[in-house]
Formats: sequence, structure tokens, C-alpha cells
Amino acid sequence: MVIVLIIIILGGITMKIEVDARKEACPRPVIRTKKELESIQDGIVTTIVDNEAAKDNVSKLAISLGYSFIIDKGEEDSEYYIHITKGNVNDMEVKKDIAHDMDQDHNLTIPKLDSTRGLTIAIGSNKMGNGEEELGKILMKSFIYTVRETTPFPNTIVFYNSGVYLTCEGSEVLDDLKGLVEEGVEIISCGACLDYYHLQDKIQVGEVGNMYLIYEKMKNANNTITLG
Amino acid sequence: MNTEVYGVIVFKSTHYTIQAENILREKDIGFKTIPTPREISLSCGLAILVTMDDLEIIKDMMYKGEINVLNLYKYIRDGKKNQYEKII
Repeated sequence: MVIVLIIIILGGITMKIEVDARKEACPRPVIRTKKELESIQDGIVTTIVDNEAAKDNVSKLAISLGYSFIIDKGEEDSEYYIHITKGNVNDMEVKKDIAHDMDQDHNLTIPKLDSTRGLTIAIGSNKMGNGEEELGKILMKSFIYTVRETTPFPNTIVFYNSGVYLTCEGSEVLDDLKGLVEEGVEIISCGACLDYYHLQDKIQVGEVGNMYLIYEKMKNANNTITLG
Repeated sequence: MNTEVYGVIVFKSTHYTIQAENILREKDIGFKTIPTPREISLSCGLAILVTMDDLEIIKDMMYKGEINVLNLYKYIRDGKKNQYEKII
């Protein structure tokens, strides 16, 4: 009797938390969402953001944690509601719940869940190894060409510190990196590093990520190769 | 996959590869630096890939002593297997 009662209570109540991260600068929306997700066992965290970058970063957080999520367009331009489901919540219940709140012209997208495992390559420099710069640069080019020519491909390549020069205008490995993207490899450049080297407008391939994403990609991979 | 044909330049030392890179850059010849294919191997570890047309220009430069090259190869790739034919 007591057990039945508990099941009814647990089944009936879904923990729902709302994080209003509008007007907040990166990486606050990601940090706040992560904290709320950690605070609950099962439930839905809805984060409201007002720009594309924050939407992408919160979505990537959900992907890296392996939680499913739904993005719902808000009323204002670039306003998004990201509903992240953690643990044991009836999917239909979530969708019904969200659909209920939506007007017809709002878009409902269910992004593909990322099952990223496999190999992550972390590149922390535009040179391979320590020593003469001209040798380090030529070795790095040769390394990236080798990655492009060898299957299976890694799941993710993250670039940080001077490594971000490789994903930006003027890099001699852009063709190889673009080819890898076409093969489904995820390329992530560290946003803080692009900023430091004044390369924000120069990025030519892949996406921009923050330290949370970089660490998640390294941590969740079965194998990580680090070089710089 | 279509068959692609390239020229591969191999060098006696990595210094010559770097030198050749600078010369090709100056002359505006497109190239790609690659690890020397295992099938060729008996040279330094870094080779240069160019189009077959540009390989003719490099041959000339080689005869004029402008570029220090060990060997030149024709590289035929058709997706399944890679084939290298020694030219010089």
C-alpha cells in the first residue's frame, strides 16, 4: 500500500526548474543550467536565453551530458526556451507539456542526440612538439593531413591556445579540417583563445566552444590524444 | 571515387623540405606538405604533394639547381589503393 502510494507520487510529479538567463553573458547561462541539472535526480530544466550563442552553448551542454532536449522559440527575436530532460521522465509527458505552452507558429526542434565516444584529439598549439618553430609547424600540417587520411576518423578535434590559428584564416590545414567536418568530425575552437589572439572574425571551420565543452569532449571520449 | 593523380616530391632532409616550401610559396605554386608515404619511405619524413602540371615546373627547377630534391614520384590514388611510380 505504501509502495503504491510512493509510485503514484513519483509518477505524478515531475521536477521542473526554470533558469531565466536572458541578458546574461557567456558562460553564465551554461553554469546556471549545469548547477540546476546537478541539483535534481530527475526532471526538466528550462533555460531561457536571448541570443544564438547562448542557445548553442546550453544545447551543447545538454548533448555533452547525454540529456535530451527540445528548443522552443520564444516571442522575441533570438529568444529561446531550452527544455532539458534529466533522468527518468516520461518523454510524452514532456512533449505534451511543452506543446501546450506553445503557439502554432513557434518552432519545435528536437536535435539529434550525440552519442560522442571514440577519439578526441586535443591540439594546444599551432606547432607539434617543442623545438624549432618551422619544424613544429610543418609537423603539425603533416599530422593533420594524416588524421584526414586515416580511418576511422576521430569524433572530435578541439583546438585551444595557439592551436586556434589552425582553424582560422591563413591556416594551411583548412582544406583537411573542412574535409574532416564533411566526414562528420566535430571541430571546436576555444572561444577565449580566439578572443585573446583577436581571431573571432577569422574562424573558417568548425564551431566555437568554451572550457566546459572542451573538458566534456576529452572526458567522455574513450581515448584522447593531446598534442601541442 | 575518381582516380586522382598527383606529384610527390621527396627530400634528403627535412631542411630541404622546409626550403622547398618557401620556394614554392614564393613562386605561388600550390602544394601540400604530407608525411612521406610508407610505400616510398626511403627519404626524410616529410614530402610535398603538387599537381602533375606543377611537377613539370619543379623538374625544371631541379635541373637548374634551384631546388634540392631527392626523388619525384607519380602518385595515383583511386580510393582503394595508392600507387606510386618513381619518375626520377
